[in-house]
Amino acid sequence: MDVTIKISSLFRKFTNGQDFVKVTGNNTIECLHELESRFPKMKRWLYDKQGNLRPQIWFFVNGQKISADELTKPLNDGDELFFVLAISGG
Amino acid sequence: MLSKRELARYERQILIPGWSKSGQEKLKKAKVLVAGAGGLGSAILTYLAVAGVGRIRIIDGDKVELSNLNRQVLHSDKDIGRNKIDSAKEKLEALNPHISVEAIKATIDENNVFDLVADYLIVDAMDNLPARLLLNRVAVKKSLPLFHGAVYGFEGRATTIVPGKTACLRCLYQGVIPGKTPVVGVTPAIIGCIQATEVLKYILGTGELLTDRLLIYDGLSMKFSEVRLKKDPNCCECK
Repeated sequence: MDVTIKISSLFRKFTNGQDFVKVTGNNTIECLHELESRFPKMKRWLYDKQGNLRPQIWFFVNGQKISADELTKPLNDGDELFFVLAISGG
Repeated sequence: MLSKRELARYERQILIPGWSKSGQEKLKKAKVLVAGAGGLGSAILTYLAVAGVGRIRIIDGDKVELSNLNRQVLHSDKDIGRNKIDSAKEKLEALNPHISVEAIKATIDENNVFDLVADYLIVDAMDNLPARLLLNRVAVKKSLPLFHGAVYGFEGRATTIVPGKTACLRCLYQGVIPGKTPVVGVTPAIIGCIQATEVLKYILGTGELLTDRLLIYDGLSMKFSEVRLKKDPNCCECK
């Protein structure tokens, strides 16, 4: 599936400033893997030292938040994937 | 009952369709807790005070430091070393003598949070996740609205939580970026103003709230975007 990943501001430094990156994948995890293979410096923010996807990352498909058990749910052609890091500054 | 002086003070907002004198009376009777008198809190408190929210309770346990002053505009150089709540109360009472400002020096913990909140509307202007989640717990248990905001650098987020109807903070947060948060003052100013706007709309019963919607402000590209939230059916707080 052709999926567009919208890059949030905190990750844009890893994508050379690109706001959107087109990837191919059947689900969120596959799309994320393609993105990180193209921009490997992003990995440190995505995974903990044990290699687990950080729970501080929130994923949205077509603007709707998805839960951790939906990360392998099939995506459709043309879907937009968006993810952000949880922040807590005040 | 609003005095002549109050009516004159609030004249321009009373002109807003749907506001009227009765809306202003609602604000005067309202009780709002602002947890945190830092960057977000400075903007929230300022605009709730000048709008005429009648009873404002501020909770903060910190003293003013020099490194706060790039963003915490309720405080200034002469306040360094003072309790933030004292500095904030003084400025707010100068901004609007018609409101009551209660300043409580406290660090929110699980032992005091229920008493501190009482039956006030809750504005989350904290700088740490554990305290935010404690406020969320009280909001859920007491069915009080929680107006959430958070910032990092040039990015900010806001959402409004109405327990029983919307996702709660615990549905969202499983942790945050560790370490010291970089931030420029304009970001909490913008997000704090959005939170204050939500509080005013909630009290007045007007407009559309940011319920089950997360507003994302990206100051670098100067874009606002929005995503939809949903309750986590397995949430340990609100399921």
